Amino acid sequence: MTPAAGDDNRLLEVRDLQKLFPIRRGFLRRVVGQVRAVDGVSFHVERGETLALVGESGCGKTTTSRCVLRAVTPTAGQILFRTAEGPVLDVATLPRRGLRPLRRQMQMIFQDPFSSLNPRRTLLDIVAEPLVANRVGTRAERVERVAELLRLVGLRPEYMRRYPHAFSGGQRQRVGIARALALNPRLVVADEPVSALDVSVQAQILNLMLDLQAQLGLTYLFVAHDLSVVKHVSDRVAVMYVGQIVEMAETEALFTSPRHPYTEALLSAVPKPDPRLRAQRIVLEGDVADAANPPPGCYFHPRCSYAVERCRVETPRLEPVAPGHFVACHRARELTLRGIAP
Amino acid sequence: MTATPADAARPILEVRDLRTYFFQDEGTVKAVDGAGLSVYAGKTLGIVGESGCGKSVTARSILRIVERPGRVVSGEILLREDGRETDLARLDAESREMRQVRGGDIALIFQEPMTSFSPVHTVGNQMIETIRLHQALDKKAAREKAIEMFRLVGIPRPERRVDEYAFQLSGGLRQRAMIALALSCAPRILIADEPTTALDVTTQAQILSLLTRLQQREGMAIILITHNLGVVAEMCDQVAVMYLGRVVEQGPVDAIFHAPRHPYTRALLRSIPSIHAPVRTRLPTIAGSIPHPYNRPPGCPFHPRCPDFMPGRCDRAEPALLPVAAGQQAACFLYGDAQP
Repeated sequence: MTPAAGDDNRLLEVRDLQKLFPIRRGFLRRVVGQVRAVDGVSFHVERGETLALVGESGCGKTTTSRCVLRAVTPTAGQILFRTAEGPVLDVATLPRRGLRPLRRQMQMIFQDPFSSLNPRRTLLDIVAEPLVANRVGTRAERVERVAELLRLVGLRPEYMRRYPHAFSGGQRQRVGIARALALNPRLVVADEPVSALDVSVQAQILNLMLDLQAQLGLTYLFVAHDLSVVKHVSDRVAVMYVGQIVEMAETEALFTSPRHPYTEALLSAVPKPDPRLRAQRIVLEGDVADAANPPPGCYFHPRCSYAVERCRVETPRLEPVAPGHFVACHRARELTLRGIAP
Repeated sequence: MTATPADAARPILEVRDLRTYFFQDEGTVKAVDGAGLSVYAGKTLGIVGESGCGKSVTARSILRIVERPGRVVSGEILLREDGRETDLARLDAESREMRQVRGGDIALIFQEPMTSFSPVHTVGNQMIETIRLHQALDKKAAREKAIEMFRLVGIPRPERRVDEYAFQLSGGLRQRAMIALALSCAPRILIADEPTTALDVTTQAQILSLLTRLQQREGMAIILITHNLGVVAEMCDQVAVMYLGRVVEQGPVDAIFHAPRHPYTRALLRSIPSIHAPVRTRLPTIAGSIPHPYNRPPGCPFHPRCPDFMPGRCDRAEPALLPVAAGQQAACFLYGDAQP
C-alpha cells in the first residue's frame, strides 16, 4: 500500500512515469540503446473530468495510457489510483494478482471499431464478456444488463444476437463503448475513439461520450491527436512531445493562450475549415526528435523558432506559469504566443 | 481523337456523367453514379465526401485503374491539350496511349506512401524506372533528375536518400518522395488522394505548403481528394461535394463554406469538430449513417438523413445538378424542379 494521493478528488495521479523500450541488435540480441517512450510524465485526473493527452505519433501518449491500465509495465514511477473501496493503490507496482479487481474499475475504448470487435461473436457475447470474465450475475441477468447497456449507448437491444459486420463504424464504436461500461468503471481510457470514423459519425460518438459522462459521472483519460476533437470533450489538456509533457492547462487557456512554442505550432498547423482564415500557418521544419537519441537540452529546440543558447544545453522542467497552467520552456514567461481566437 | 478549337477558359479535364460500377455476386455497387467535374489549369479542385461516396473511385476511373470487378460503365473523361481532346473513358485501359497519360499527363499520389513503394527496391531506382518510362534519358541522367526532384520537394541530403529504401524514410519524407516520383514527368494534373491523412498535423502542414509551392512553380492542376474540410478550405479553389456516388454540390471554395446550398453540405459543415468551437460543446449531428452501397435509397440518396426531406418528392426522383448561384450548382429539389 502506498501513501494516499494528496487530494480526495484525484482519481488518478501519475508521478514521474517512465517507460523505456530496449533496442536489441545482433545475434545475441544485446541491448544497444533505449527508446525513451515515456520519460518523466506527471499528471493527475480528477473525478468526473476529462484529461486529454495530445501529441503527434511517437510522442508517448498511447504508451502513457497503456501504462495507466498496466497493459504495459512501467520502467519507473507511480500510478496512484483511488479505488471504489477507498484505498489508493499504485498500479505501477501492484503484483499481477492484485490487478484483477482493479481492472474492473478501469476500462478502455479502442480506436478501430473494426478490429476491436471479434467478428465471430454476437453483440451479446461481446458486451457481456467483461461480466463473464468477472463472474458477474447469472446468464439471464447478463442478458438484461447487455440490453440496458445497448440502450444506454443508443442501440436497439433487439440487435444483441447480431454480429458486428451488420453494423456501421459508428454503431460498432457504440458497441465498444457499451462493453467498456459493462462493469461500471471509474476511469475510462479512450485511445483515439473517433479517429477511424467518418466525420458525420464522429460528432455522434463525441456527443455520446459527453452525455454518458454527465449521466454516469465517468472520468475520461482521452488520448487523441486531433485538437479540434479534443476541444469538444476535454476539461484539461496535456501536450506531449518525445515522451514528455511540454504544456498542461485547462482547455480554454491552452487553446487561446498557449505558452509553449510547440503547442503554438500544433494549433497553427490544424487546417481551419474556413477559406477566409487561410495561410497564417507556422510550418515546423524537420521531423519529430528520435526518442532513442533525443537532442540535448530541450527536445524541441532544433525545430523551435524561439530557441536560444540555453535551450540547446539545459533541459526545461514543467513549471507553473499561471494557476493550473504548466509549461516546460525556458522562455515561457517572456514569449507572447499565438493561440486560437475564442 | 477529335480536334476542337483551343480555348483557354475550358477545363483541361472534364468528367461528364461518369458511372463506375462494381459487379459482384451479391449485387452491383454503383460506386460512382453520374458524377461530373471540371478541372482548370493551375487550379485546385477539392473532392470531399465521407467513406463510400465514390471520391477515390472517381480518381481511379480518370486514370483507368479501377480494379475488377469494377468497370467504367458510361460517361466521358475528356482530357484536353492544345486544342486536342481525348476521351479517356473510351481508351483501352492497357493501351499505350493510356500508359502515356498515367504518370505522364496525370499523376497520382496516395494516402499511404509506405505501401506505394516497393520494399525491395531503393526509392531512387523506382524513380529512375518511372522517369525512363516517360523520358528518353540514360540511367545516369535519370538519376541526376531523381536527385534534383528530391531536392525540389525538400528532402535533405537527396544524393544519399535516393539510395535508401522506403522503410528507412519517415512518414513525411516518404510522402515527399512519393510527390517527387509523381512530379518527375511534369504532369499537367496531379491527383492527390488523401495525401496527408496518414500524417501528423505538423507534417501535414509541411506537405500542404509543399504542394502549394510546387503548384505555383509548375503550374499544374491539382485534384485533391479528402474527407478533411479543413484541408479543403486551405487548399482548394473549387470544391465538389460527393455523396453516394454523385456530386451533390459544386462551387467556389468560399461559396461552399459560407453559402452552402445542399442540405448535406450544410449538415457536414455543422457537424465537424472545430477548433474554434467553445470548450466542451455538443455538436449538431447528421441523423443515421451512410447507407450500405447495396441498400442505396431510391430518389435523392441523402433523403433518409435530410432535415429538409419532402415526402413524395425526394424519395421518388433523383435531383439533377443545377445552377443555384454564380458558378455554384446543387442537386436538390429545394432549388427548383430538377425532374430529369
